[in-house]
Amino acid sequence: MSTISTQLRNFKEPTKEQLTQLFFALPPPLDPLEGEKSDVDQLEKMEISAVLVLQDEQSWPGKLYLYPPYLAFASLDRKSTRFTVPLSTIRRVERLNARAGVYALSLSLWHGVKIVVQLTSLRPTADLFCSLLRDSLKVELTRGRMKSVKSFVKSCYSEVLVMTAENEEKDGAAAKAEDGGPANESIYHGGLGLKFKFPGDPKKLREASKTKLWTNYLRAHGRNLTLLRYPQCTRLVQVGLPNRLRGEMWETLSGSLYLRYENPGYYERLLEENSGRVNTSTEEIEKDLHRSLPEYSAYQSEEGIASLRRVLQAYSFKNPETGYCQAMNILAAAILIYMSEEQAFWLLEVICGRLLPGYYSPSMHGTLLDQRVFESLVQRCLPIIHDYFQQVDVQLSVASLPWFLSLFINSMPMVFAFRIIDCFFCMGPRVLFQVGLAILKINGEELLRIQDDGGFIQLMRRYFATLGDSAHPNSSDPRARAITRFQELLLVSFREFAIITDDTILTERRKYRSEIISSIESFSKRSAIRNLRTLARFSKDQAGLIYDALFKAICIAPPTSVAFPPPSLLTTKDNAEERPETRIELKTFKVFLSEICTWARDEKIVRNGFQQRIDREVADHELIDRLFFFWDISYRGALSFQALDLVSGLDGVMFNDLMENIEWFFNLHDKNKDGYLTKDEVLTLSESLLFIFRYEIGDAYLGAVSRFMSNAFEYGDALLPRPEDANTDDDTPPQIESNQPYMNLATFRMVVLADEILESFFESDFSSTFRLQPVPLELPSSNSGLLGGLWHNITSDDNRKIFNSFTDQIGRTIGKHQVYHRPAIGKYTTLEEPKARESLLTPTMRPAAEGSPKDPSSPSSTSSVSPSSSSQLGAEPSATMTPLTPMPSMFQAAAQAAAYMERTPFAIDDAKDEDEDTEDESGFEDDGVLDEVDAFLEEHDTGLTEAEREVAKGLLLIL
Amino acid sequence: MADGASGAAERSVQVKLVLLGEAAVGKSSVVLRFVSNEFQANKEPTIGAAFLTQKCRLEDRVLRYEIWDTAGQERFHSLAPMYYRNAQAAVVVYDVTKASSLEKAKTWVKELQRQANPNIVIALAGNKVDLVQPSSSSSGAATPETEDEADDATATPGENAGAAGSEPETLRQVPREEAEAYAQEAGLLFFETSAKTGDGIVEMFTEIAKKIPIDQILASSRGTGRPGAAGGRTGAGQEGVNLDENAGKGKEACNC
Ligand SMILES: Nc1nc2c(ncn2[C@@H]2O[C@H](COP(=O)(O)OP(=O)(O)OP(=O)(O)O)[C@@H](O)[C@H]2O)c(=O)[nH]1
Ligand SMILES: [Mg+2]
Repeated sequence: MSTISTQLRNFKEPTKEQLTQLFFALPPPLDPLEGEKSDVDQLEKMEISAVLVLQDEQSWPGKLYLYPPYLAFASLDRKSTRFTVPLSTIRRVERLNARAGVYALSLSLWHGVKIVVQLTSLRPTADLFCSLLRDSLKVELTRGRMKSVKSFVKSCYSEVLVMTAENEEKDGAAAKAEDGGPANESIYHGGLGLKFKFPGDPKKLREASKTKLWTNYLRAHGRNLTLLRYPQCTRLVQVGLPNRLRGEMWETLSGSLYLRYENPGYYERLLEENSGRVNTSTEEIEKDLHRSLPEYSAYQSEEGIASLRRVLQAYSFKNPETGYCQAMNILAAAILIYMSEEQAFWLLEVICGRLLPGYYSPSMHGTLLDQRVFESLVQRCLPIIHDYFQQVDVQLSVASLPWFLSLFINSMPMVFAFRIIDCFFCMGPRVLFQVGLAILKINGEELLRIQDDGGFIQLMRRYFATLGDSAHPNSSDPRARAITRFQELLLVSFREFAIITDDTILTERRKYRSEIISSIESFSKRSAIRNLRTLARFSKDQAGLIYDALFKAICIAPPTSVAFPPPSLLTTKDNAEERPETRIELKTFKVFLSEICTWARDEKIVRNGFQQRIDREVADHELIDRLFFFWDISYRGALSFQALDLVSGLDGVMFNDLMENIEWFFNLHDKNKDGYLTKDEVLTLSESLLFIFRYEIGDAYLGAVSRFMSNAFEYGDALLPRPEDANTDDDTPPQIESNQPYMNLATFRMVVLADEILESFFESDFSSTFRLQPVPLELPSSNSGLLGGLWHNITSDDNRKIFNSFTDQIGRTIGKHQVYHRPAIGKYTTLEEPKARESLLTPTMRPAAEGSPKDPSSPSSTSSVSPSSSSQLGAEPSATMTPLTPMPSMFQAAAQAAAYMERTPFAIDDAKDEDEDTEDESGFEDDGVLDEVDAFLEEHDTGLTEAEREVAKGLLLIL
Repeated sequence: MADGASGAAERSVQVKLVLLGEAAVGKSSVVLRFVSNEFQANKEPTIGAAFLTQKCRLEDRVLRYEIWDTAGQERFHSLAPMYYRNAQAAVVVYDVTKASSLEKAKTWVKELQRQANPNIVIALAGNKVDLVQPSSSSSGAATPETEDEADDATATPGENAGAAGSEPETLRQVPREEAEAYAQEAGLLFFETSAKTGDGIVEMFTEIAKKIPIDQILASSRGTGRPGAAGGRTGAGQEGVNLDENAGKGKEACNC
């Protein structure tokens, strides 16, 4: 992969509210094709305990959710009974007579169905709910949504079914002749199957009786926008949807119907706006159009191909970061048999976005994650098979991955795959896991005889080929004989694996997410490094560290277009090597450089009596910009890892000896590369030096730079070629414009070498300001371990800030707060002019500073990893760092979370950890500090909010 | 799919072979040609990977190929290690009418050489040569050996269609010499093939077979029952989809 994506890190666990929205398939807020923002967003959401009462007096306790513009209900088990209805389909709300304290509402829906719900909460809560409901309904009325229902339902085939049935009932046979059908038929949405035939034999599929059953259900319990789902609904789905109704039921059950309802005309507009445009997916889609269910007749015709093309393209334009993934063509082709393009477009949106999140993304992390989850479920539910697979080294995913990725369409005969898909839309992604487990279970005995991956696949293939056969061919009971292997499969799936619930899947996904993310990231890191044309003088590990620094920089300051290549790349196909790749701009570069280069960051060492930490900030200086453009040899205004800008850039500076460094520095400042610095450039160069030296202790460097400047101009003037031809009045040094060539490399070298400090700077110090060190990157913490929650508290950025500022304030109060800047080089630790900086150093720190002659930066920094895991180069071993090392950093890698929790940031504890020369290390006394804290907590108003205080206090207690 | 070997009684050496290469270069078609001597104009893209077997007869013994045909799209890349682990042979396919596909092939070769079984025999196959051979594939002169005239009309959907007849050489984007030179340099077997006409296909699989160190495989499989399992699981980290490229370097990887 030549792009570096940090997208996976942005994953956030959904909130409870979002989970509710996902469960009820409530459409997310309007997408900005039209920037209309409605007041719906402002309306309050509310949930309330309620009992759904049916006409037959059956009742379902559960919860009623008002999520404007939707009203939803789910029974307590979350599956028996549920509905999601747009408020705009509610025609009437009545408060039923409050007999015996029962608070009940009767809602009349568009299709004439009445819902009665008893609100079982306390009365004020129920009142509040009612008034919110009233408000929301009003808003829908003013938005004119009530009117849109009528035209929308016309696009639904269920209306035709019900109307035909009603007509038949009304005037018997006459209705057939009268033919209300065709008129409607032209309006309702349908798939290619209407014209090209549906797969399977209608008789065998018992289409007629299924249709009848559904017609009855839809008449009684609402349809499309107002479908109420009772246990019978799920049962009917499990026996298979009738072909003509299938597309619409998929929409309704999956909730993509609401998207279509909320966004009328969106699909057409999207196509229109993008007509004639291409994106990165266009070519990939084109390649696969003729390779999607090619045996189905519609896809041998231009009509079918064109539909498929439009749907896939529309999807890729709407979701450019996902674009197109193989397998989506098969899904799209499959659903287009049963539904219109617009329906398919929205269903695809729901499949790829909600039902199978991340399955088709460029990293396919969702696929990998669910394979991991499946593996763990197999381990749990079918341990014998799992163990056997381990034993013979068979990988589950070789067979199961395509099941999930193409919803079995590729694996089993289509008619069966569609029945699984029916259940999938009705019951959610858990179906895939249940069916997968059932397949393994049914084939258990034979699976225990396979020898390798190949055998596994072949066994599965044989099994799928016989799904239509009798499951009990030798049974004497004809009814048992009639049960097909496919029916057996569904039975096992839903009976024996009923334990697999939505929650199971969510929990398991949470459990394995970070594991998957790290393996994906390290995989792309390895390929990125492998694909470098050269490593220059770096080792593979060093290249890895450069990659890490870049990755972190991209996390912190994402380049403007990580996900998609810049427009120029979209169209140029001429150059084969011109693959999309991640390029970073200046702002990301600054972060990158600050990770590697000590003078490109400002580091403040803060001690406040509780912790010693390093606050690191990205430095900003002309020198850094200069370096950026210096490395940007192809003048793109952006640097890339793959194109080696960064690697060769670093290579050009990190391995230099004295002379090379001097030359490098000279070239860096010779903007027009004519071999001369102008006077201006000499000044700039001096400023660069000053910038690098800005935090060095003492004045040695300052002196060196000023000597450099005076020498530069002295030698420079002296060595200027005397203009011979131009016979100006001579002997005074010739005047030269400040932007004219002035000093060449030889002169510059001479000036530098004239100064001992500068010489040693260019000899070694400069190179050593570039350090490749492990960059810890925290994964989104989805640890569910004991400390998970606590760790989560402390790792969130905000909490860290709260904690830091809190302890700082305490530190200030108790007089233990100190800050000083860490020097980039840190060579001089004895102060030549101590007075200037004395105040910054407390006596206790002095010996510390003296003890670190060379390299005070490195592994102690807040953002570097613990010494144990460091494999740094260029930097001195951490032993020399002792004085500063004992600072446990607040934010070490998540992996160290637990260990960290025990190690406290108290200086006193650090002293304990420190084996050698501890005595004078601990500048802070144990006793007294805590008392002071208590006193502080009681009396001092820290300026933090109450909540923040709580967090901080909690943190202190943990410490 | 045809699996001629499955029922065979004679003991043959199993060789795991993996196909890699950019999407739609014709990996599945090459396998289909080799396994059942057929060609289908519109093959569905491979999802994950497909598995097929075919026997290959050398003078002295019979070899049973277990072929893993992988998905070509870039985003399936991270799945590849799962399929090429323990492979003794690999065919890296590119499309002679598409320069970028050779670049992709090179990265596959690089990856295999670094991450797969160190003894792996790699062949580079420039597929779809029928499109650049003036004699064949022009509509009139259907090639004799196959029964797929019917396919000719629709054989090359998309970008390649149409132009095939008149000036086929212009379609070629990868000169034979260039690819061959690269293959030599990288130590690969090299073939130009056509899944459509069958050119070069059997030859390629036979040459690969000859290069496979069969005795070693026999030696190692005698010990453990089958070649792939010698190393067994190397750790818990290997479950599920395996992104660990080092998975291929189990113990059996060092038995050279
Ligand atoms: N003319 C010609 N077309 C070929 C040849 N081989 C494959 N094709 C066509 O190229 C397209 C892709 O072939 P596949 O075999 O599916 O390609 P693949 O490499 O397996 O593709 P993925 O599974 O997506 O990675 C199909 O339409 C084939 O008909 C060939 O030798 N000559
Ligand atoms: Mg394929």
